[in-house]
Amino acid sequence: MSDIDIKRISYLAKLKLPHEKEEFYANSLKDIIKWVDNLKMIDTSETEPLHNVTEKTVSIRKDEINKSNSVDDVLSNAPERAQNFFKVPKVVE
Amino acid sequence: MKSSISQIKDSLRDKKISVEELYDEFLIKAKSSKTNSFNLLLDKENNILSIKESQKRYENGNPLPLDGIPLGIKDLFCTKGIRTTASSKILSNFTPNYESFVTQKLLDDGSIFIGKNNCDEFAMGSSNETSFFGPVKNPWKNKNVPTDDLVPGGSSGGSAAAVAEGTCVASMGTDTGGSIRQPASLCGIVGLKPTFGSCSRWGIVAFASSLDQAGPLTNSVEDAALILNSINKHDFNDTTSSNHVREDYSIGINDKLDQKIKIGIPSDYLKDVSGDILSQIENTKKALIKHNVEFVDVEFKTTEYALSTYYILAPAEASSNLARYDGIRYGVREEGKSLDDIYLNSRTKGFGDEVTRRILIGAYVLSAGYYDAYYRQAQKVRRLIKDDFQRIFNDVDFILTPTTPNEAFKIGDKLDPISMYKNDIYTVPTSLAGLPGISIPSGLSTNGLPLGIQFIGNYFEEKKLLQIAALAEKELNFNEQ
Repeated sequence: MSDIDIKRISYLAKLKLPHEKEEFYANSLKDIIKWVDNLKMIDTSETEPLHNVTEKTVSIRKDEINKSNSVDDVLSNAPERAQNFFKVPKVVE
Repeated sequence: MKSSISQIKDSLRDKKISVEELYDEFLIKAKSSKTNSFNLLLDKENNILSIKESQKRYENGNPLPLDGIPLGIKDLFCTKGIRTTASSKILSNFTPNYESFVTQKLLDDGSIFIGKNNCDEFAMGSSNETSFFGPVKNPWKNKNVPTDDLVPGGSSGGSAAAVAEGTCVASMGTDTGGSIRQPASLCGIVGLKPTFGSCSRWGIVAFASSLDQAGPLTNSVEDAALILNSINKHDFNDTTSSNHVREDYSIGINDKLDQKIKIGIPSDYLKDVSGDILSQIENTKKALIKHNVEFVDVEFKTTEYALSTYYILAPAEASSNLARYDGIRYGVREEGKSLDDIYLNSRTKGFGDEVTRRILIGAYVLSAGYYDAYYRQAQKVRRLIKDDFQRIFNDVDFILTPTTPNEAFKIGDKLDPISMYKNDIYTVPTSLAGLPGISIPSGLSTNGLPLGIQFIGNYFEEKKLLQIAALAEKELNFNEQ
């Protein structure tokens, strides 16, 4: 196992860890990854990954329109809205 | 002894109590409780219409299956117009505009929600200590150290504590790696995790979508069957919802077993367990052997890999599912100069330590260079675990295990995440295989704390599973101990 680059991982997870907590999370992650490392000993060259345990096919419904999630419903929990939009800081100059 | 759903319905039907009086009784008790098992309690005014309609149905002689029954709902189910937080700061201001499939079915059957049960943040925990609203206290006390506050287990810890202390008749929980069965065991009640795909995940705040499953926490196996009747339905809104034919789970639940039942006990699960835990299995064997039940030793080949597999897959799915919390469309927004700053600040300040840790693990095992070694390998091992269960089910009807490796422990005692994760050693393999499991209380530890046993059934065989659990419940007679 290589060393964990906690800055890169938190960047991928869109988290800005406070400086004083970086080591705490890095050590914790290192311990857990070491703990789960025993999976590497198993030969799975002949095994297919399992995504859905019941492996049943998805059921198909009729494509009918029904009313749900009006604009007001969707926006009712928005931290900030402007008319019918979510409001965020400017992203294009 | 607490009344069952059927007994309460009889009292309502016989006018010994009204729906309103029943609601008051539970609400008053819940309000004065010190266990912190509810994040939110609903005053009678919030439910007055449902209470009146329910009463009318009793008076007209046509009550619904769960009419008037006060239920707790884990704060992970979206409830229309009622705050739903997943016990997280980031959702602490969130009020859904829709009802989850499962809670809608419970409402359709006449039940009345008394409040939202505290749980671990985003259902990530085994002790209910990760909640933004503080830990839940187990109503049980260690008789040798009665001053200690104990954990109720988790993540459905508020649900388990509330049912155990009698502040709701039953509660809806969710189980990803043991989150219904483990707290049920530590609080001395019944907890059922149905087969993955039985109960729709639609409207449940997602943790790990290939594992999450809703199920009841109740005072009895019969109550669990009655609730399962309501919630076990196909739903087009959940692509993993199974469309198999459902049975009535309560009819015939106490029927005599008409054929010989073979139960496997995994010897590898019982290595190094305490005498207290071992005696739960021994007592169950003794109780059932006279009922045409044969016990055989079985051995798994994959048990030692189950927790590792789970702690790769569940955080990976969580890391992906929790990407939606960004402070833009709903939830708590932390200000920032740029859009990116809002994302970073909202997420960093909105998630607690355990959730942050799991998002980081997930991001790591999914990241370039590690995906095949961890995530893909874990998915392959998951198949081996499933195959291992199927090999054993070729020979037995059920598997019997302890539910937990220990009794309820002191709040604050397990600080190291790995020792906390090991709490779920007996429940995680079942979850990975997607099989149904039920925990029933089986006896008391030497410290006077409840312990549970778990029966595991084959896919979609909840009917048989509930029957064997009901028989064991009757024979072990925990509530009379």
